[in-house]
Parts: sequence; C-alpha cells; structure tokens
Amino acid sequence: MTKDQLFLKCVEILHETFDLPTERIKPESRLYEELDIDSIDAVDLIVRMKPMVGKRLQPEAFKAVRTVQDVVDALHMLIHSDAAPPPP
Amino acid sequence: MFDRPWRIAATGFCFFVFGAAGMLLGILVMPPMLLLVWNAERRRRLSRLVVHHFFRFFIGLMNFVKVLSYELHGVERLQRPGLLVLANHPSLIDVIFIISLIPQAGCVVKSALVRNPFTRAPVKASGYITNDTGLGLVEDCGRALSSGETLVIFPEGTRTPLSGQVSLQRGAANVAIRCRKPVTPVVITCTPRGLAKSQKWYRVPPKRMHFVIRVYDDLQVDSFLESGTPEPLAVRRLNEQLRSFFEQESVRAAP
Repeated sequence: MTKDQLFLKCVEILHETFDLPTERIKPESRLYEELDIDSIDAVDLIVRMKPMVGKRLQPEAFKAVRTVQDVVDALHMLIHSDAAPPPP
Repeated sequence: MFDRPWRIAATGFCFFVFGAAGMLLGILVMPPMLLLVWNAERRRRLSRLVVHHFFRFFIGLMNFVKVLSYELHGVERLQRPGLLVLANHPSLIDVIFIISLIPQAGCVVKSALVRNPFTRAPVKASGYITNDTGLGLVEDCGRALSSGETLVIFPEGTRTPLSGQVSLQRGAANVAIRCRKPVTPVVITCTPRGLAKSQKWYRVPPKRMHFVIRVYDDLQVDSFLESGTPEPLAVRRLNEQLRSFFEQESVRAAP
C-alpha cells in the first residue's frame, strides 16, 4: 500500500471509530489536540489498523505519533520493514 | 448578624478536625491495623469502614455547626453491591457525602491526596484508585468492578466551575462501556455554591450551604453498543448523555 492509500484507509477508520467528519481529518491534524483521540482510544485504533499491516502491531511503534501523517508513516514503515535485511 | 463570622469559624474548625483526624488515622489507627489484620483484603475493608463512619460523623458535624444542611433522595439505591456510581462535583466535600452513604466503596481520587500528609494514610489503606493514569485507570477500575466492589467516580475530574457548565473526562464513560456496567447517576447540588474550586474556604457563601443528594435510576449502557457501535463511539455518546444529564439535573434539582 502506498502512503496515499494508507492515509485514505486511516480516514475511513477514524470516521467509523470516532464518528469524525472525514473533511476534518487532514494529514497534519493532531490526534489529541484536534481530533480528541486520547490514550485509551489509541488502543482501539491500533487494533483496527492491524489488518492493514497484517502482522502483530507493537504499541511502541505508535508511542511518538502526534498527527495522522505520523500514523501513516509508522504503518508504512511497519509494512515495509520485511524488506529490511534481517539483523545479523 | 453573627451568622457569617460563625460559619467562617465553624468551617475552619471542621477543616481542622478533618486534617487532625486524617493524621491521627495515619498514626494511631492504620499502623496497629497493619500489625493486627494481616489479610490485605480484610484490612482494606476495615479501613473503608473506618473512613465511611468518620465521613458520616463529619457530615453530621458540619450540619450540627450549621456550616451546611442537606437532604437525601433515593440513597437506598446506593446500598446495592457492585455499583458504578458517577456523580457531579460542585464542592470540595462531595466525596465525603457519597462515601458517608456507602459503607464499602472504592473511589477514584486525585493522586495529590496520596502525597498530602492529612489524607495519605487513609487513602492508601482504603485502596482508593488514583486518577492520573489514562489506560491504567480504566484497567484498575475494571478490576475493582469485576471483583464486585462499588466504585465511585467524579467524571468531571475536578470541581464544576461556578458557571455550572459541566464537562466530563472520558475515563468514567470508558469504564462503563468497556465493563458493560450500568451507571448509577448521583446529582449533587450545593446552594448557594460554596467550597467550589475557585473559592477559598473562609469566603463562606452569603447563607448556609444546602446540599441535595439525589440518586437516580441506573442508566443501562447496552443500548449504546447496539448494532455493533465501536466502543470509542459508544463512550463518546454515553459521555455526552451524562454531561447534559448532570448539567440539566443540577439546575433543575437546585431549590
């Protein structure tokens, strides 16, 4: 999945889970301050994003996310982490 | 004519009694309990019972010295086991009222009370839950409820502003939805407002405070989860319903 596709998928999930109007969700939207998503919501969000990545999601990968774009980047990295050479 | 100075002095006296009792519990009651009651669960029950009776006495004292008067409605509903009690929070002493009505209640309190020397010992011995951990808080509350405890939460997280505008943190609604636990709403009104967030204790209101404590029918949460509504969305809807309920009822219930 490309980052654009991941973003659209994120918008869909945010809309379904929190009833946020899709037009309010922009890449630069801050999850906590602008979209009112707290640490408890984040757990649900990670569960719902799991199918996109297709493997176990470590909550740590999302520790530093602040914006929707951060989530997209984190997911993108997780999906493509297979391509990285295995550790020696 | 001497009503106001009297109430200022009486309020100060009550505060002194409260602080002294908190310290004495920490020095004279809790340490012997640690020695004599080895079972942690029994110790906690005993500690909660001591706090409950002290709070009953304390409300009686504040009534006796004419700092406040009060009336209770529907409080027999609080005698059932294993409730999730959610109350609005107009004044400093709301938790004292609620705990004085329930012999064995867990409670979510602000973590500052664990650091306060006057409240530290009873709060720790009673196993009250401290409120500054987002996800951990919901888990702690879930554990308490699943073991059949009654849990008291003030979902506003801090006292209601003088404007009366209620805004709720989502922690309590999260507990209700995720544990599928009906909510027992309690509306507290204090007229005229006193011991509110911005009010110093010695700025007593123009007349004796009158508290009304009203316990309502349980609010079931199942309907919020119908047709596969995601939990976070159900939490938001329940929270909004509770918010407007508290705001409207506290206006309606005030004499």
